[in-house]
Amino acid sequence: MTAGRPVRASRNLSLRDDAGVVSYVPGDLTLTVRAGTPLSEIERVTREHDQWLPLDPYGSNDGTIGATIATASAGPLASHFGLPRDLVLGLEFVNGRGDVVRAGGKVVKNVAGFDLSRLLTGSWGSLGVITEVTLRLYARPQIDRSVVVRLEGSEKESTAFLHAFLTSPLSPFSVELLSASAARPLDLGSSQVCLVRFGGNAAAVDMQLRALSSIARSEEVDTGVWDKLRSLENDAEGVMRISGPPAMFRGVSVHMLFDEFPWMAEYINPVRGVLRLIVHAHDDATADDESLLGVDPAFVGVVFETLPSRVWQDLPSAVSDALSQRIKRAYDPNNVLNPGILGD
Amino acid sequence: MTQPIPRAQSAVAERLAEIVGERHVLSRQSELLVYNSDGLPGYRRQPSLAVFPGNRDETIAIVRLLADEGLSFVPRGAGTGLSGGALADDIVIIGLHRLKKIISLDVANRRATVEPGVVNLRLNKYVAPHGLLYAPDPSSEAACTIGGNVAENAGGPHCLKYGVTLNHVLAMTVILPSGEIVELGSKIGERDGYDLRGAFIGSEGCFGIALDITLKLTPKPQAVRTLLADFMSVNEAARVTSGIIASGIVPAALEFMDGPTIRVVESSIYAAGYPKDAEAILLIELDGLEAGVTADLEAVRQICLDGGARNVKVARDDAERMKLWQGRKKAFGAMGRLAPHLIVQDAVIPRTRLPEILETIHAISEKYRVVVCNVFHAGDGNLHPNIAYSADDPDESERVHKAMTEIMRACIDAGGSITGEHGVGLDKMGYMEAIFSENSLNAMCELRGVFDPDRRANPGKVVPIHACKEWNAVASARAGGGVVREPRPLEAEPAHPAAT
Repeated sequence: MTAGRPVRASRNLSLRDDAGVVSYVPGDLTLTVRAGTPLSEIERVTREHDQWLPLDPYGSNDGTIGATIATASAGPLASHFGLPRDLVLGLEFVNGRGDVVRAGGKVVKNVAGFDLSRLLTGSWGSLGVITEVTLRLYARPQIDRSVVVRLEGSEKESTAFLHAFLTSPLSPFSVELLSASAARPLDLGSSQVCLVRFGGNAAAVDMQLRALSSIARSEEVDTGVWDKLRSLENDAEGVMRISGPPAMFRGVSVHMLFDEFPWMAEYINPVRGVLRLIVHAHDDATADDESLLGVDPAFVGVVFETLPSRVWQDLPSAVSDALSQRIKRAYDPNNVLNPGILGD
Repeated sequence: MTQPIPRAQSAVAERLAEIVGERHVLSRQSELLVYNSDGLPGYRRQPSLAVFPGNRDETIAIVRLLADEGLSFVPRGAGTGLSGGALADDIVIIGLHRLKKIISLDVANRRATVEPGVVNLRLNKYVAPHGLLYAPDPSSEAACTIGGNVAENAGGPHCLKYGVTLNHVLAMTVILPSGEIVELGSKIGERDGYDLRGAFIGSEGCFGIALDITLKLTPKPQAVRTLLADFMSVNEAARVTSGIIASGIVPAALEFMDGPTIRVVESSIYAAGYPKDAEAILLIELDGLEAGVTADLEAVRQICLDGGARNVKVARDDAERMKLWQGRKKAFGAMGRLAPHLIVQDAVIPRTRLPEILETIHAISEKYRVVVCNVFHAGDGNLHPNIAYSADDPDESERVHKAMTEIMRACIDAGGSITGEHGVGLDKMGYMEAIFSENSLNAMCELRGVFDPDRRANPGKVVPIHACKEWNAVASARAGGGVVREPRPLEAEPAHPAAT
């Protein structure tokens, strides 16, 4: 889970064995599991009741729920179903002093006390070791179909299509724009593409598919393409996430989707306003990644997800502000939990 | 009868008046009476002073002055809260309703930045012409403020589908009680680091004051359909609720009102045309793409009829829809016709336990000879049992409080929470130890201590002081009015006849 980050710890605490369902009442659409439970297990258990946890972080389903929540990892479904912080109802964690703390609860609405669930989500294990998570589930959609739109026209035409699509009332589960270098390994052809997933009742999905095909030529693809997309970055040397206002992305996405380097792939979620840059090991060390993007860093958020270890020390810490430092000191006074993981 | 104002206090009042102008500082007891309660009539605490900044700079100056003086304060929005959270026990109230600027609206990115005093409904009206809405819609939307919504992590009927305040706040500029100003969350993109934005939302005024709040707006749905299904038994309505949720349909709202509530509403000015002889009604709203909504509407109608609904009526137009909603949204107000006081709970239970818990509530109400009206967000299990009574009648008061305590216990035992949207405030502090361990409460205290080391922001709320291991009682006894007192016991809140 370290993603190459410079954690200065001599020991590893694995939670793989602390796995399994603690309670699952399908009628409540809530699920409580131990942190070491892999996402694939959650998928299996909920599928039996026609339900799912619509959380599909980039990577694979072998990852544990604890790691997913601790890193606040999200995937293509996030623009429709929310980020991990929107799906956690409660959790249990062990702080740096060894105290077991329970945050939140097991019900879908809860404002009792201060929101420690939100505090721990995305804290990369530095405030506490998450040991149990309660999640909100959804019913699996009656119909779940995906299509691909090839962006073979001019940049202007593709941008116009994107604008029309994204400002319409259509409500896709996922929308991802892929560079050609991302589309190729997915057998989607050799040009840039727009991959779309629609879900819901038959009437809603049919209507949306028809509406989309009226503004662009689209071709149905197997829903399995999304898992393949997520796994594209599994051997990457570097993964960077650039995020900003969705309207900006609508305007520049197509421009950003070039494929000059075979070792670099991009995909953009224009609804969420996130560009993912995947860099595989390569020999051309002279390329300046940032300048290729043509996006002003002053107007975007930048998050490095995976980097070669040597690069981390040059980056600013995400928790250098006074408040974050004080929280860290309160919850982990001896700095035993993942010291250094957030650049601290 | 005017009381002489203590000297130290009048010095502070003078300095506050220098910041906001004399008109906007209240120090006379009679003037402060209006601010001694919130939406729950059972609690009254008299503030020492009330100050109303007119803009951001005045707010900052006030917080910094109080920090210099070591004085405690309570941030207050519209005072519509239902947990006693905006009450100031002999300390300063900072009223934020004058900070009502809508600072910016970014239609293309569907976001707006507002000052904390902006009224929820006003924001909705402002963005409506652009085909947008602000989703969290507490029933007090016509009066409550965004700042208050953030403090309580407010919900409302439409949070079933759209989520609560937490899911709609992108960023905030916050002034900490120390006077330091911090940016929480991110206005322009996602960043690594702790979710301090999430930690601040729902902190009930204990962590500081949000000076501006950047909110996510939602596009208006293409279609909206509202149904009213009536039943001759509470149990049937509860089961149909579960049935609808289990079908996979996510209604935009699913509200429940029982017989006693229906009859109260129908005999008030808020009458909505509900069938007075029904034992329960479900108000169900579906929204989204026209095609999808039409399909869901048929499915829901069938589930209701199969589940025993006597009638299922679909609102024909916007006017009918507004009327149906009016009855629901004004239900608490309608209760005011029955008796002078209202006690209302906000427990949440797992949805599958709804039929059983409603029966339990009924049994408890019979046991204590009180009339419990149930009007609530059935779709997410957020109950609002409420009882109108006269707090001047000690026997009735005692029975009412005992009934409510037992109802709360039943909800906790069913695996629920003590508050779904109203907050802990004063009202539910007594239950915190029933649902959180010592370590958990201490972790909350520690978080509070990070934002407010001197415990001057809304002291005595949310987490019982004795649960804070590090809190030094001596530190609370600072000079100049910053005394933190243990709140008085909840079970037997004595009746406070309105002061004359």
